[in-house]
Amino acid sequence: MRLMDLARVVRSKNAGPLNLTFDIMFETEADYALGLAAPGLKAEAVSALYGVSANRVSVIPYPTALAIKITIPRAEAAGGPRDRDVYGAQQHVPLLGLEL
Amino acid sequence: MNAAFKLRARFQASAAKTLKLVGASGQLGYGVPEAAFEAALACRPDMIGADMGSTDIGPTFLGSGAMATSPEQTRKDLARLLAGARAIDAPLIVGSAGSAGAGPHLDATLAMVRDIAAAEGLSFRLTVIRSDIPAATAAEAVRDGRVRSMGVLPEFTAEAAHKAAHLVGQAGTEAFVRALETDPDVIIAGRACDTGIYAAIPEWLGFEPAAATHMAKIVECASLCCVPGGRDSILATLDRAGFELESMNPARAATPMSVAAHSLYEQGDPHQIIEPAGVCMVDTARYAALDDRRTRVEGARWVPAERPTIKLEGAEYLGERAVLLAGSADPRFIDRIKANLEEVADVVRGLVCEPGVAPDYELFFRTYGLDAVFPWPNAPETPPREIFILGECIAPSQERALAVVKSTKQYLLHHGFPGRLSTSGNIAFPFTPPELSAGPAYRFNVYHLMTVDDLAPHFPIEVEDIRA
Repeated sequence: MRLMDLARVVRSKNAGPLNLTFDIMFETEADYALGLAAPGLKAEAVSALYGVSANRVSVIPYPTALAIKITIPRAEAAGGPRDRDVYGAQQHVPLLGLEL
Repeated sequence: MNAAFKLRARFQASAAKTLKLVGASGQLGYGVPEAAFEAALACRPDMIGADMGSTDIGPTFLGSGAMATSPEQTRKDLARLLAGARAIDAPLIVGSAGSAGAGPHLDATLAMVRDIAAAEGLSFRLTVIRSDIPAATAAEAVRDGRVRSMGVLPEFTAEAAHKAAHLVGQAGTEAFVRALETDPDVIIAGRACDTGIYAAIPEWLGFEPAAATHMAKIVECASLCCVPGGRDSILATLDRAGFELESMNPARAATPMSVAAHSLYEQGDPHQIIEPAGVCMVDTARYAALDDRRTRVEGARWVPAERPTIKLEGAEYLGERAVLLAGSADPRFIDRIKANLEEVADVVRGLVCEPGVAPDYELFFRTYGLDAVFPWPNAPETPPREIFILGECIAPSQERALAVVKSTKQYLLHHGFPGRLSTSGNIAFPFTPPELSAGPAYRFNVYHLMTVDDLAPHFPIEVEDIRA
């Protein structure tokens, strides 16, 4: 099963101009547990997917909202000359196809 | 007595010791939904707040001094809030004036406020908080080792401070509390923490920072914490133990799940809200439904900072930007698009630069359909049927930037590449001219944290009595 078939929300946005943050939210406790166990959502896998070092990836479980929060540094500050996504709202896409 | 001191007297005389706060807009200048705002006024709130700015919009507005929102809509929104707040004699607090909160943004907002007051016959005391940080102040902090980086930007230097076209600090709750001591009807702040707008009155009246800050972080986005999320006014009712949330649009519900989930929004860590004077820990917060549209929140904790910090923001001028808009559907052209673009860039360099002279501009392309939005490591299995090419040039002058993209357009149209069939043109223009000036270009060169002994000297306040 892919993450896009399981999660209720998969989104990305700037958290300040220097960081990108991803929110993955689930409908049920069981789905959330699947998400938490998924190797593709661990720091090492996210690091490979986004080309940032694993020690700069933070993965924070947020059980209150059945959500996983992932934050990584941006390659460059938002809105710089070669930026592709000033708000960072479309950087979640590689996560959608993750096999769980 | 003006609105602030009247509120304090009323609060001190009351037995209930609750405060009703309205978040009217998370981004003033894009329109304030009227029905929800009227419903909020009918609740007779103790204050009305609105946030006006963000770094989301990118560095150009901070750099140039321009507002991101249209002047007409911004004026209309400000007029609605001023009229509403004055009608019920409640303090109105607006933060991050004019999109980025530097001097020019604040002054343009104040000019609008004075103009509205004259046109609408409104009299009030206006207290202003300025957020510009002198480059020398930041440079001194660098010398003392009091500035640290928060990510990809290099370590802060005095040179970076001087290069910033505008340098601002985020004013916190402290500055708004100081402004309240001047008995204002209206507070307009330059760049500010969005929480300060809503946490200031509670803290001024003796509430603990924990619940006040948690409440503030939610209502500053108006009804975004609801299902469905939206931009309608929201009402928070704060007491000593916690707060209750209710959207002023009956179609939106603040549920325990939707409110808890809001802690994720645009935050690197959902468990903490970092403020100049400390950290609000919300990992211990509890969310309980009062009914199907209202939620009660309790349990946040406040950890004071050892020394206060100010978040600095600065934007550096890079040059003038011009763009080229073109599409293609030709499979042969699309197949070797990267090589085509590189070859054309080389040809253009030879045409617009003297031999042996390095280019004074940067030219680059985003190829939509391939990898413009995300830097995919591999090419797609099937080539796209169409692509869109956005050429961008940043050069020392508008004329120079336009000259580069104009030559680029012509040579891209007629670029002869191996296997070419469409010898009358490689690209389609949606309209002419397909080359457009896009104004000055900036980049964030400062987004750093400065430790200070005292926040107050960095955010001076001014008081102005406006008489219609």
